[in-house]
Amino acid sequence: MKKLIILLILVFFAANLFAAGETETETATDEGVNQISFWTFQELHLQFYEDAVIRWNAANPNRQIELVGEVYAYDDMHNKLLIAIQSGVGAPDIVDIEISKFPNFLKGEIRLAEMNEYVNPVKSQFIESRLDIYAKNGKYYGLPFHVGAAVMYYNTEILAAAGVDPYSIDTWDDYVQAGLAVKEATGKPMTTVETTDQWTFWPMICQRDSDFFDAQGNVILDNATNISVLEFLYDMVYKYEIAVPAPDGFHHSEQYWGAMNNGDYASILMPMWYMGRFTDYMTDLSGKMIIMPLPRWEPGGKRSAGMGGTGTVVTTQAANLDLAREFLAFAKLSREGNIKLWELLGFDPPRWDVWSDPALQEPNKFTEFFLNDDLFATLLEIKDEINPVSITAQTPDLTDLIRHTVMFQALQTREKTPEQALTDAANELR
Amino acid sequence: MKNLKSNLNKLNPYIFVLPLIITILVFYLYPVISTIIMSFQNVVPGETEFIGLKNYEKLGNQHFFAAVKNSFIYTIITIAILIPFPLIIAVFLNSDNCPGKKYFRAAFFIPSLVSVVVTGIIIRLSFAASDKSIVNAMIGWIGIPPQSWTVEGPYHAMFLLVLIATWRWTGINIIYFLSGLQNIPKELYEAADIDGANGIQKFLVITLPMLKPIIIFVTTISIFGGFSMFEESYIIWQGNSPNNVGLTMVGYIYRKGFQSGDFGMGSAIGLVLLVIVLSISLIQLRFWGFYKKEK
Amino acid sequence: MLEIKLRKKTKTTLSKVILFGAFFIITTVILFPLFSLILSSFRPGRDLMRFGITFASIQPTGLMFDNYPPLFFTGESNYLFWLQNSVLLVLFQTVISIFFSSLVGYGLAIYKFKGKKLLFAIVLVMMITPIQILILPLYKIMISLKIMNTYLAIILPFIISPFAVFFFRQYSLGLPRALLDAARIDGVSEIGIYFRIMTPLLKPAFGAMAILESLRSWNSYLWPLIVLRTSKMFTLPIGLNALITPYGNNYDLLISGSVVATVPIIVIFIIFQKYFISGLSVGSVKG
Repeated sequence: MKKLIILLILVFFAANLFAAGETETETATDEGVNQISFWTFQELHLQFYEDAVIRWNAANPNRQIELVGEVYAYDDMHNKLLIAIQSGVGAPDIVDIEISKFPNFLKGEIRLAEMNEYVNPVKSQFIESRLDIYAKNGKYYGLPFHVGAAVMYYNTEILAAAGVDPYSIDTWDDYVQAGLAVKEATGKPMTTVETTDQWTFWPMICQRDSDFFDAQGNVILDNATNISVLEFLYDMVYKYEIAVPAPDGFHHSEQYWGAMNNGDYASILMPMWYMGRFTDYMTDLSGKMIIMPLPRWEPGGKRSAGMGGTGTVVTTQAANLDLAREFLAFAKLSREGNIKLWELLGFDPPRWDVWSDPALQEPNKFTEFFLNDDLFATLLEIKDEINPVSITAQTPDLTDLIRHTVMFQALQTREKTPEQALTDAANELR
Repeated sequence: MKNLKSNLNKLNPYIFVLPLIITILVFYLYPVISTIIMSFQNVVPGETEFIGLKNYEKLGNQHFFAAVKNSFIYTIITIAILIPFPLIIAVFLNSDNCPGKKYFRAAFFIPSLVSVVVTGIIIRLSFAASDKSIVNAMIGWIGIPPQSWTVEGPYHAMFLLVLIATWRWTGINIIYFLSGLQNIPKELYEAADIDGANGIQKFLVITLPMLKPIIIFVTTISIFGGFSMFEESYIIWQGNSPNNVGLTMVGYIYRKGFQSGDFGMGSAIGLVLLVIVLSISLIQLRFWGFYKKEK
Repeated sequence: MLEIKLRKKTKTTLSKVILFGAFFIITTVILFPLFSLILSSFRPGRDLMRFGITFASIQPTGLMFDNYPPLFFTGESNYLFWLQNSVLLVLFQTVISIFFSSLVGYGLAIYKFKGKKLLFAIVLVMMITPIQILILPLYKIMISLKIMNTYLAIILPFIISPFAVFFFRQYSLGLPRALLDAARIDGVSEIGIYFRIMTPLLKPAFGAMAILESLRSWNSYLWPLIVLRTSKMFTLPIGLNALITPYGNNYDLLISGSVVATVPIIVIFIIFQKYFISGLSVGSVKG
């Protein structure tokens, strides 16, 4: 009996040993059905493209597509992709690349397909800065998922207890006053500041037309504007005492979600795509949160910035290169595609001319959760106030430095002044 | 006839080690040589070029030094904990005197079965900064205020890393020592009993010397394990520890090689790591009298 | 006489109690977080966010089975494939690696031959080489051998585990030479000596290495990740990790999936545990 079992296992195993993986996707199987392989690190993105394939196949009966998608963990997928691109073999046809990893794939000989012929006709209907971040030397490689508009999420319950009306907060000075009122009335911090991530600092410098790099790619991390923003953050925490470092250092931690859900903080500065965290993890806050533009620095100043993002690219290893490119354009650049970005993923679509489309007024789990009457009205208000960010080959290194030295040293351990922390980091990169 | 047989006999050892030789040639030497070459290059798709020692020169930065320092400290502390204690526990688990042996053996071992992902969740939740998290609650009983374990500083960070390591690897070291203990003939202990030896004497005179090869083994792999530590740190910080408190040498390889896409530099770091650890191991083995003449 | 016996008995009982108590406390502390997590797998995933791991979380309240069926029964989830892959890989990697590594370790310990020290030194170096720096060249080799996305690609570079070779070498150093000499005089071939006489003596070593190689194979991550290309071929850690996304983690499946994932390894451990219990006494040469 034992021997039989062993034999069975051996046979089963041998069968799997060689034949196991359905190897590389073959294209052009039967009668014009083409396989397109796709890698991503987020299941929801896959669902988006699967939906796009259905619509494509309906519109293109002679050129059917079969999408073969694989979902990997975030780091894993980028590691695999790097190896495949570096060695020239084994990359998928279409793949998501997150913005902080994107520069790694723009080095040397760029093995991604350019999308200019599809982008140029519709460029003006897009928030152009969101296309620029995935481009190099005038060639567009990656197509965005969202605007990632940085906004302020207010807990209206806490604000009400302090007698603060969120609509009355226009400038950062107003914000500080509100924070003091909240502290007085409830003892709670107005907000949390990320010390191991860049989502607090970056939008705030972008608002002031500053950045980490200038348009030519030089490091401007330690310019006067950035220093004064970091000093302002410092003051909020240690001088006015209306802010605290985020628990565990960043806003994607289990600890933060638990605390925020508990009503420990009055507001948070994060991009629009953070909405999903509220609906998934901070369910007790339903019906209490409102989304507002960021406070401005001075009258007429900008109230948002485009943060984060993932660009979908076509690799030059794609067997059916032109089909893949056309499909990607169909999915990401069309009106319908952008409407789906909101409907399926809850993202603020980068194509702003759909924002007034009735489809975006339909109720969904986000409109139910947040108090805003019309989320997109808020967005339309700030549409022209979104600066592009400069992404260079050094961006991964720089965001690394921001995340594990600058913010931390200036705001948590306070071992360096804001000026020193920024200057040291900038010098390291020069 | 006799010559043939004795010649064949001479081949015998090589038959035993043949699989090793093949594996080394194909799957080790070639990749290592590739890596050495890469360490002198700027590895970029389609435009890889030789840059001499530039990658090595770039190693003179605070991150690399932090990584080296952390790796050293971590290795020293884990060896100091993960050899004596599992050894003693193994001795107790081996004795007839111990009730519930099987249960305890399994209990010590189970933490190493838990996946890296889940261990991370456990650690982040147990050591959460709030005062209700289990660790902060417990230290509250003895009057210590709640700590933000993951971001407080280098001592907290090292404490966490060593704690995870102890949790995960104690059971495994116990198993090594247990298997070594099985090899010690009972007659030796019985003889010692007759001579009136007590527990401690038996341990020092019989157990320890008989376990020497295994102790050498565990020490050596602990040195290797200490310097190649990556997961424990990744579990907590995903490669992004504030002020580099959790950065290890392999963590730095990962950061440069994969996160920044610079395989040339990653290779350079890896080779430096290799040299450091080899040197330490050689010294360690010398200490145990390894390369003395075999009897 | 009776007094001495009684005193000895109480002494033994006392030490038994103390030992048991100490171990009990230690293991409870060790296992507590796991226990809490297992309980969490019977609650909605997001409760883990609300409650975290606190003293409250171990109360058996609000338990439900909902997180388990989706692992196995949805068409979407490839969990069962992942489980199958991991289990098969563990079984075969362990058996193959132990078979060859023990041969090699034994050979290095017992025989004197040219190049022995060099080989052993290389084994040690292999152990310390971080795999991250070898990945790119190894990937190219696998591509040229055209075996991507197969079990073979995962196993082949690691047929010999340097780690196990080292251990078997150390262990074999303690084998009785007298037996070896006796067998040679009897005219047994070297291979025969190994398989018929030494292997039984190596049982505790096999037991230990079986468990440890299984563990290493079970947890191995980077190499399978690079080599595997379709979701159905993933091993369990890779698949489970994909449930952790930048948009939030699917704790429901993650925790229950991880709980189920530990079961096969625990089974392997229980099976091989008895190799330790046998209390083999090696000094069995008469006279």
